[in-house]
Amino acid sequence: MALMMSGDKGISAFPESDNLFKWIGTIDGATGTAYEELRYKLSLEFPSGYPYTAPTVRFLTPCYHPNVDTQGNICLDILKDKWSALYDVRTILLSIQSLLAEPNIESPLNTHAAELWKNQTAYKKYVRETYAKQAKSQET
Amino acid sequence: MASKGPTTSASTKNSSTGGTSGSSSSNGAGDNANQDNTFECNICLDTAKDAVISLCGHLFCWPCLHQWLETRPNRQVCPVCKAGISRDKVIPLYGRGSTGQQDPREKTPPRPQGQRPEPENRGGFQGFGFGDGGFQMSFGIGAFPFGIFATAFNINDGRPPPAVPGTPQYVDEQFLSRLFLFVALVIMFWLLIA
Repeated sequence: MALMMSGDKGISAFPESDNLFKWIGTIDGATGTAYEELRYKLSLEFPSGYPYTAPTVRFLTPCYHPNVDTQGNICLDILKDKWSALYDVRTILLSIQSLLAEPNIESPLNTHAAELWKNQTAYKKYVRETYAKQAKSQET
Repeated sequence: MASKGPTTSASTKNSSTGGTSGSSSSNGAGDNANQDNTFECNICLDTAKDAVISLCGHLFCWPCLHQWLETRPNRQVCPVCKAGISRDKVIPLYGRGSTGQQDPREKTPPRPQGQRPEPENRGGFQGFGFGDGGFQMSFGIGAFPFGIFATAFNINDGRPPPAVPGTPQYVDEQFLSRLFLFVALVIMFWLLIA
């Protein structure tokens, strides 16, 4: 987990408090994707069985994405049945970062986003609108 | 379930971790740690204790790997490369420093034993010149036409003529002949069903 502090571009994570089982991570949308320049916060909760069982990862910042539901839950195979004891915070965040750019349209949690994905310009616009909306609501 | 993109990218990232892990730890504990790194368990990231190696070549502590296999009994894959592995197919590494003692409270069963194949005999006596140790033996039963030749060309090879019908010797010979026929039929039948 200490790997996290090293300079990977666009991702970072730190323990939430003294409890090392709860981490807060941030992901910057990769450039050239609909999510570029947007920053998302995530929570990572490690079960006692880690690394044999996967942590629970959720988006704290609402994220409009085909594989993320409105509660922030993520549908990603490596967090479920493809989990491997080798994955750490860094690889999880990198995987989610690439999931942002390459969603799996076949099994969406957010069908609206999956539909809109075909139209990239509209999709990008919508992502930005929802992001701005939540940013505003957090300020007030 | 999202699958293709993120997973593949994650695994490539993993392999790059393996490659660069030496340099990333150099700012930590110095050059000593750098070298030990190669022998760290892939799961607990500590120096492998009761080290075992999978057939795909990845190093683990035996307790770590055992627990990993325990957590997913129906999908036994190598955590590093996702090749299929199994409990009995790992190779234990016996370093010089290993004591071979185990904490009796430990719940993990002992490591599988190393296999000790017979040393291969290279050079020296090599069979009967049938190539490089490729000595073969075959067992067969003669095929039909050759049997005919064998009997057809064995005319009058000094055997006594058959007994005259009616004598006790003739009865005996008939009996023997039937017995052999029966045995032959049994063997043929056995060959058919085997």
